[in-house]
This record gives sequence, structure tokens and C-alpha cells, in this order.
Amino acid sequence: MKSRRSKATEGGPSRDTGARKSKGGTAGGLAVAAGDAIAPPSRQDPAPWWSPARDRDQGSRRGGERAPLGFVPLAAVAVAFLTLPLIALLLRAPWASLPGDLTAPGVLTALRLSLICSVGALSLSLLFGVPLAWLLARVPFRGRNVVRALVLLPMVLPPVVGGVALLLAFGRNGIIGQWLDGLFGVTLPFTTLGAMLAETFVAMPFLVITVEAGMRAMDRRYEDAAATLGAGRWRIFRRVTLPLIAPAVAAGSALSWARALGEFGATITFAGNMPGKTQTMPLAVYLALQNDAGAAITLSLVMLAISLAVLVGLRGHWFPRR
Amino acid sequence: MSLEAAVGLHKGTLDLDVELAVASSGVVVLLGPNAAGKTTLLRALAGLVPLERGRVALDGVVLEDTAAGVRVPTEQRPIGVVFQDYLLFPHMTVLENVAFGVRSRGAGRAAARTRAHELLEHVGLAACASAKPRALSGGQAQRAALARALATDPRLLLLDEPLSAMDAGARAELRRGLSRHLSAFRGTCLVITHDPIEAMTLGDKLVVLEAGRVVQAGTPEELSSHPRSRYVADLLGLNLYRGRMEQGTVVLADGHRLVAADPLPPGGEVFAVVPPRAVALHRSLPDGSPRNVWQGVVEDLDVVGNHVRAHVTGGLPIIAEVTPGAVASMRLDDGGPVFVAVKAMEIEVYEA
Repeated sequence: MKSRRSKATEGGPSRDTGARKSKGGTAGGLAVAAGDAIAPPSRQDPAPWWSPARDRDQGSRRGGERAPLGFVPLAAVAVAFLTLPLIALLLRAPWASLPGDLTAPGVLTALRLSLICSVGALSLSLLFGVPLAWLLARVPFRGRNVVRALVLLPMVLPPVVGGVALLLAFGRNGIIGQWLDGLFGVTLPFTTLGAMLAETFVAMPFLVITVEAGMRAMDRRYEDAAATLGAGRWRIFRRVTLPLIAPAVAAGSALSWARALGEFGATITFAGNMPGKTQTMPLAVYLALQNDAGAAITLSLVMLAISLAVLVGLRGHWFPRR
Repeated sequence: MSLEAAVGLHKGTLDLDVELAVASSGVVVLLGPNAAGKTTLLRALAGLVPLERGRVALDGVVLEDTAAGVRVPTEQRPIGVVFQDYLLFPHMTVLENVAFGVRSRGAGRAAARTRAHELLEHVGLAACASAKPRALSGGQAQRAALARALATDPRLLLLDEPLSAMDAGARAELRRGLSRHLSAFRGTCLVITHDPIEAMTLGDKLVVLEAGRVVQAGTPEELSSHPRSRYVADLLGLNLYRGRMEQGTVVLADGHRLVAADPLPPGGEVFAVVPPRAVALHRSLPDGSPRNVWQGVVEDLDVVGNHVRAHVTGGLPIIAEVTPGAVASMRLDDGGPVFVAVKAMEIEVYEA
């Protein structure tokens, strides 16, 4: 039977042979006889000591690149600018009175409220956002790009503008709001549910974009395999797709939860700043800053700790890679 | 149990138009060069690619019929597929993988696990049941994928190059194992392969696909004695020529003539096949009985076991099979002129 003792790949797959010979034409093939040595590429002469090329060679041989002039000091300023405020926060924190400050009733209320609203926002984002991400990734419907752009708009929209828009949609006299009020007696502005919705508005796009990226990155042939094994669409999603995109869902959840937790502009505009009802932690910080800087700093430290925890949890996996 | 399929579809630059019939309990091997449409055909039979026109019926049950507007979705077809990369679910254990199809078709968890254990025993992987797919070797993964496909008792088993990812050492062993499983399998089987040994040993019937069309179909014996395309001839290592029959001589397109001992009536298009072992090489013009003699140059040498295949070009290209001793004593690798001699007796001619 036909099998080459090939030059490079001993025992390689026979598809090489098939591919090579199936070109048709003569049976002669290439003129390289078995055992021909292939000469290594010749080494280039090193550049003379006075030539600029030598610098470049040395740099690349050492493995690092030389930055354009001025980049290093500029980058240092950037790092300082970004970290100095955080360092200041840590330095000026009232560490001594921290335990007492943390358990002050106002702080605990704000903390509890923030957790309820942000977890609620995350749940709503997952419930509605994952199916949307699935459709955006898989179904090439008309206007898909437009829908995607609109869905991602809250990510770049100034949050307070988002709050105003929410009022116009869901407020007492809003487009939907008037129906909610008239038919069901439900008001959303200045309620806890309203705060939750404001947070969902800004957080859901993060989840959608991350999960859509994860869906696009996954190997769809696993779903084909599951179909050939008799799995219907729901079973495929539950047992094959979801586990495979779990890292993307986790990353998206972390991002959107952190975003929801930190939301200020939309919350204060749509839901107001009522302690116990809608005064989430960012709002509490803002208020406290005017009266009691210590409480403001304490709350800020809590939020900083949460943010760091999210960062560490994500560990650089902002978007899933295949 | 049988498969009747007429598949017509376009995919990218591929225009697939194939008719296929497989008898009950038969194993059909699908052969062909890259991009011939073999995998697309397999996916179409599995229902993963819709037909543009055609009909697929398995055991009399219509799975797809474009004329009647019938299309059974993939998950409802009684099929099992072993994909080229096996596609074992990475987040499940081997046992869960094999049980997946059984569970999907309605069995309870315990029943599915029992069945999965049975299959794993059958393929010799009982010890790997709780391992994850990434811990398996290539051969183990292949067997796991086969077990998974067989677990649901499919009536049609589709295998896409089941052995191509193996290295040569593991391949022979796995091929024998696969051959045993396929013979024991009661349904219809379609295997895609590139490898001539797999094709010859696994299949009852071979179908050769080139550029979306069937160019030859037949038993392994038929193919090896009467190849009808360059691809098949190359696969089997035979010399194949096509020309017109004229008074005892086959006249090829470029004007070369081959004298055959048992010619066909003149006028028709014919194939002429010459086995390499029937080709003799000489350093000087031979003066003997062979009717077909011409001059050429040895372009390339291949070693196959203890035979050497010499690729001769110039004149009519041909492959000659000689011993290593001959190569050495005649110094065939020096690129000098050689004379090719082929007896008319060794040339078989058949209708194109």
C-alpha cells in the first residue's frame, strides 16, 4: 500500500499523502529526493558598532522594546494620577473608629439596600439579558446591529440622562408609567423597586455584551454533537451551552453587579435619595460628605474593597477567549 | 435496515449532488480528496445541514424530503455520529458523556448510567468512566466517542475520519477494534476516510466523491482492479491512463501509445491500468519482448517497506516498483536517463 517515508513527519497522518497526490498531473511529484538536507538560513552579519541598527538588534535580542522618548514619564504620571486618590482614601481613613462607623445604622441601612438593589438588578439582567445575548449571537435577524447598538447605549449614556429617560418612560406621567399607575396603582419612581430598575438599566448591557462574546467564542460543534445525541434545544442550552459559556456569564455578572452597586446618577434621578428606601451606598456617600466626612470615607472604603474583590475575582478575564 | 439518500445542496463553492444507497448492516466508506464534500454529505445525512433538493430515507422512514416539505430535525433522527475531533463534552466525565444521549432520549439517570457502563466495558474504557475527556489519550477519546454514539442504539452510524487524529502506531490497533465494532453493529454505517488501508478493510462498499460528485462506487476489489479516477489510482498506488482505443493500442491525450495484450474494440474511451510492480527499468535501451518501451528520468524515490517506488517522468509519467538492491546497483538516484519497459500483458484495459 502507499505510504511515504516522508522527510519531515515520520508517522504523520496519511492525509498528507492523499493531498499531495490528488493534485492530478504526473506521478512524478516534486524533485526533492528522500534524504535531501535542507540548509539552515544563513546568519546575518552583525551590524557595525556605530550603526543605529545595532541598538535595535540588541534591544530585540534582550527581549524588551525601547519606548519612544517621553513615554515613560508620561506613563508614570498616569499611574500616579490613577492611584493617588485611592492611596489618599486609604491614608485618610479613620481606621481607629472604623468598626463603630461601619455598624452605624445609616451605614448598615445603605449597605443592606445596596445589596438588595444590586442583586435584584443582577437577577433581572440575567433573566432578560442572557436570552437577548443568545439571540444577538445566534440569530441573524433584520436590524440586529441596530438592536445591539441600542441595547449597549446605556453603557455610554451619562447615567443622569438615563435617570431622566427612565422618569419619562416609567414616571407617573411617563409613557408606560401612566398605565402602571392607572391600571395597577404601581409607581416606580422614588421606590426601592425603582432604584433596582435604574441599576438594571445601566448594568444589563455589560452582561449582554460579555455573554454575547462568550457565545460567539464557544465551539458550536458541541451543540451539533448534542443534537445528534437526541438533545432538544432546551437540553442543549442547559447541559452544553451554559456550562461552556459559564466563564463569560460569571465575568458578565461580576461586571454588571459592580456597575449596579456603584450606580449614582440614574438612581438619584429616578429613585431619589430616601434613606431606607432608595438611598443606596453611593447616594449615602454623597449625602454624608456634606455632614459627616468620616461616614462618607467609611462607605467609600467598603465600596473600594468590593471593587477590588471584583477585580481580583475577574483576574483580567474581562472577555472570554476561546 | 438501509439508507437511501439523494442529496443536493450548495455550500460555499461546493456543489454537492450525490445519490447513495446502502444495504442493511452495510458499511459504506466514503473516500475523496479534501473539499470533495464528504463531511458536508455526512452533516446533511445527520440533519445538521438542510438539503436544497433531495430525499433521505432510513429503513423506509423518510427523514427529509424537499419535494414533500418533510424535515425531521437532527435530535429526532435515530443516528449516532463520531465527529472528527470527537467533541466529547469537556465539562462532563466520560461516563456522563456516554450517558448523555441515553438521558436525552428519555431514560432515567440510573438507567442511563447502567447503559453507559455497558458501553464503556464494550470498548474497554471501564477504568476511565470518571475521568474528564482532557485526561484521555487520542485512542481512548476515539473509543469514548464511539461508545457515546452507540449508546442510543442508532440505526445509522456516521463516522467522520475516526482514525485520522491517531499516530501510525496506535492506528492499526484502533482500526482492528473499529472493524470489530462495525461488523457487530446491526445498523447502517458510513465511514469517511482518507486512508486506503482503512477504506479497504472497513468497507463493504466504497464510494469515491470528488468535487461534490460520485466518481466511482464499488467493492474494494473492484476499485483496486479497475480504478476510474486519478484520486483512486493515487490512493492505491496504481498507474492509471485514459485514452481512446485504436486497433490494439490505447492512444492517450498527449499522443503516447500503450500496446495492450487484451484490448477492447476500437473507438471507445478507455482506462488503462498498470501496476507499478509490472514496470521494469533499464539503463540502456532494452531489446526484448515488452511492447511498451520509452525513455524517461527518475524524478523521485519513495520507500514502502522493502520496496522502492520510482517516479519516472519525461515521456509518459509512470511509477515503477523495484527493489532497493536495484536502486543501488543501477544508481537510480543520480537523475540520469532510464528506459521504462512494460509488457502488454500487464496492461489492463477497461471501458471508461
